[in-house]
Amino acid sequence: MSHQNDGTHYGGYNAPAHESKPDMEYICADCGANNTLKSRDLIRCRECGHRIMYKKRTRRMVQFEAR
Amino acid sequence: MPSAAPPSDRNLVGVHKEYVSNVSSTDYPGHYPGEDHSWDLGLFNERCRVQVQRLSQRSIEFDLVGVDASVANALRRVIIAEVPTVAIEQVYVWNNTSVIVDEVLSHRLGLVPLNVDPRLLEFRSTDPDVPDIPTDQNTMVFRLNVRCERNPAARRDETDPEVLYRNSNVLASHITWVPQVEQATTFAKLTPASTKPNIVLAKLRPGQEIELEMHATKNIGMEHAKWSPVATASYRLLPLIILKAPIPPHLCRKFAKCFAPGVVEVVKNSRTGQDEVKIVNPRKDTVSREVLRHEEFEGLVELKRQRDFFIFNIESEGPYSPEELLPEAITTIRNKIKVIRDAAQKLVVDMTIDT
Amino acid sequence: MATDQAKLPKLSILPGAEPNLASASYCIRNESHTLGNAVRWMLMKNPSVEFCGYSVPHPSEPVIHIRIQMYDQKSSLDALLTALDDLDTLFETINDKYNSSLQSDSFERWEEQS
Repeated sequence: MSHQNDGTHYGGYNAPAHESKPDMEYICADCGANNTLKSRDLIRCRECGHRIMYKKRTRRMVQFEAR
Repeated sequence: MPSAAPPSDRNLVGVHKEYVSNVSSTDYPGHYPGEDHSWDLGLFNERCRVQVQRLSQRSIEFDLVGVDASVANALRRVIIAEVPTVAIEQVYVWNNTSVIVDEVLSHRLGLVPLNVDPRLLEFRSTDPDVPDIPTDQNTMVFRLNVRCERNPAARRDETDPEVLYRNSNVLASHITWVPQVEQATTFAKLTPASTKPNIVLAKLRPGQEIELEMHATKNIGMEHAKWSPVATASYRLLPLIILKAPIPPHLCRKFAKCFAPGVVEVVKNSRTGQDEVKIVNPRKDTVSREVLRHEEFEGLVELKRQRDFFIFNIESEGPYSPEELLPEAITTIRNKIKVIRDAAQKLVVDMTIDT
Repeated sequence: MATDQAKLPKLSILPGAEPNLASASYCIRNESHTLGNAVRWMLMKNPSVEFCGYSVPHPSEPVIHIRIQMYDQKSSLDALLTALDDLDTLFETINDKYNSSLQSDSFERWEEQS
């Protein structure tokens, strides 16, 4: 019943596992749109042109005591 | 042999301007010469009285008369800290992009009252020899998956976030139950959920989401207050207002105003036609001692409390209906007594083997 | 429900007791004022008990001590057993009276706004 999760189950980065560097999803700081950027890409939002991006939170499971 | 009922004054605690008198009970053998006071079940049965006064869907008020404070206090303490309930204990967070951090959100989830009947679950093992494994017998699984989106139907000039966004408030009603193994049949009567659907757990804005799983376990309030089945469980002693002499007619209104509303009324004397005070319902009094502050009432009135008259008030906040809590507490307390009794019996056996 | 107490006995006799247990101190684990005071009261209701008192030696340890001294060299352990039995019937009586009041008394029923 408890979830067997060692962190790899969901794959840390929302992306298919490549041998090479995976595509990363970022959130535009201005409009909030999702942007997939490769390592050499220009850092610029496809929706609004804003040049500040936030990194997404990892989807790795974290356990807490509810106290 | 138990003697006749002792003078009632012994049962009254005096409430004075700056101190209380006659506080401790004295009904022990050897305290009064020539009086017995040893434990007598027949006499207790005669003198003890329990009477339910008010009952609502979430609280109960009842009188417990003729018992010692240690017994009333044991019941109160057991209701608060030792009647088991089920509450969320483990939180597994996959995603939480809201402004409220994981630790605080987990703490808030733990405090959500659940409607799960604790009698249908077992305690998790605390014995180091028995491994603590979550099973469908001792753990309930819940999930919370909420994502906030813009509401496309909202007008451009709309300012209310509830209309502007979907799921801007994460509520206790968003918590969904995930039945494990046979739980779907065991808990078929009442779908496990929060007893209060409108508790705000977090607030979201478009793009933010919460995705987590919760494991709820059975435990007692002594471990953590989230397992307490009540909001409050308290008792107070019955207040008494004793008039030593008539209150002068022109002071009757002032006298009545010294007490909580409904305690003292001013009535016309049927013979003289003059005002006089009537103690209508001392039970409602808060014993503020306001009447003792005024010189004109000095010596005219005494405030007392009846030492063996406990007015219990219990507010249920969990799965139990308010009238179930006292019987549950008594079951718990009798189990505790049995455990000690068995240990004492074992000690007797050990002693006879040793000698 | 302290986890580390599981292996220790629920009830033990503290050092210094009379061999015939006419006076002894008992140590009860995983108990508090809740039962300590009630058991003390019931023991004091016994005319053969010369003295009875209880204490919680340390507030963060779930342990109570009960001191019992008897008249006429009687056994304090017997007195403890009787007190526990009497306390059990006392709570049974309260439960019966409560249930009969709940069933047959007419009391105010009201709808509470939350």
